[in-house]
Amino acid sequence: MSFHYGQGYPTQGHNYPGHHPLQGAGTPGAPYRAGMPPGGQAGQYGGPTAPGYSPYGGSTRRGRLLAPPWLVPVLWAPGGPYGGTASHRGHYGQQPPAGNMPPGVSAEAYQWFQAVDMDHSGSISLKELKQALLNSNNQAFNDETCLMMLNMFDKTRSGRMDLFGFSALWVFLQQWRGMFQQFDATALGPSTERAAPSLSPQFAAGLVGRFSGGRGPQGGLQLDRFLQVCTQLQSMTQAFRQRDTAMTGHARLSYEDFLSSAVQRLM
Amino acid sequence: MAYHSQYRPPHFNNAPADQGFLWNIFQRVDKDRSGSISDTELQQALSNGTWTPFNPVTVRSIISMFDRDNKGGVNFNEFAGVWKYITDWQNIFRTYDRDNSGFIDKNELKQALTGFGEQCYRLSDQFYSTLIQKFDRQRKGQVAFDDFIQCCIVLQRLTDVFRRYDTDQDGWIQVSYEQYLSMVFNVV
Repeated sequence: MSFHYGQGYPTQGHNYPGHHPLQGAGTPGAPYRAGMPPGGQAGQYGGPTAPGYSPYGGSTRRGRLLAPPWLVPVLWAPGGPYGGTASHRGHYGQQPPAGNMPPGVSAEAYQWFQAVDMDHSGSISLKELKQALLNSNNQAFNDETCLMMLNMFDKTRSGRMDLFGFSALWVFLQQWRGMFQQFDATALGPSTERAAPSLSPQFAAGLVGRFSGGRGPQGGLQLDRFLQVCTQLQSMTQAFRQRDTAMTGHARLSYEDFLSSAVQRLM
Repeated sequence: MAYHSQYRPPHFNNAPADQGFLWNIFQRVDKDRSGSISDTELQQALSNGTWTPFNPVTVRSIISMFDRDNKGGVNFNEFAGVWKYITDWQNIFRTYDRDNSGFIDKNELKQALTGFGEQCYRLSDQFYSTLIQKFDRQRKGQVAFDDFIQCCIVLQRLTDVFRRYDTDQDGWIQVSYEQYLSMVFNVV
């Protein structure tokens, strides 16, 4: 499948017709565009990890479970890091537990699932998810983004996320966070503009301004808003692409088609 | 007019609530006596007829609709509008919730949505299923009062933005990629 805009955001040669090619002339090699995390689509999460992206950014940290900075140790308690309850002690900083870890679930995701599932119910509620996620300014993730992620990975529509959903969320978060850090590090401009180079700078700036929490287009986005904006962009782009079959950059929509394309993408 | 122009509650003939009555309610809802009712205060004051908290998204939508200077709440004057708005919706909802269950199902939703526009563009059964699925926060296959209001608010916003582009009013629009994105982003 080739995506002309949006999903797996355009690489050179796939630029959105009628728009500038990649805005950021200074962007190096565009490694992060290759492995854009898929979003929104059922069953598609857990795609390939972006090339060159190493989780938590360092091989020196390998071999030890370090808290990814966006997951706060929710079970912080005296007696050692992450060692909230006796049942959890020993899981961290050790070998992955063998035995009851289902196939397809990474050891890290498994361990974090145990930590985030504070009431040990076997699934994660919105509240538990929100308590576990933190922006770089130490603010909790906003409700909308948490709800969006819960809905994305709650395949049973139970309002809770099971281990498999969480494991998929884990992959999703790592990939987006990898992108977020690259945008952050380059500090070349509002992150969304770089996430979706097919958008005009004005449009991207407007988006960032709207989601930056009053800090204006220059203020940039926190991780939670970044996830929200990118996921929605991806999903809407996909909706548009389905209707722009001739790839003209324009689509003709009936009233009902417009309504349902938008309503279906409500998070 | 080819399509639905009104997802707003029709104005009922109920006499405007008198000021003394409203003031009483306002003071009870304004728990911190700030002179302005916040999202949380309004949410606590509202019931959706079931034992679950009122949808916070609906509360935000309603407050922002009447909060003219973007202060994050409504003052007494604005509260009169909020009160009327919710009461009108409640009347609608009661009309269509025939069995008084506190929920309306797909058919009732369809009747409700086609009932209060003067003319309605035909929406398919499938579309109503999508609506129920998306706004059924309690996952019962039906929508409660708060989610019903939110559903109507979203439809109204989408319809408004659609009409802006549908200049010849034939029920079809031709939009560019960014136009489409901004149409949807402004609503959801």
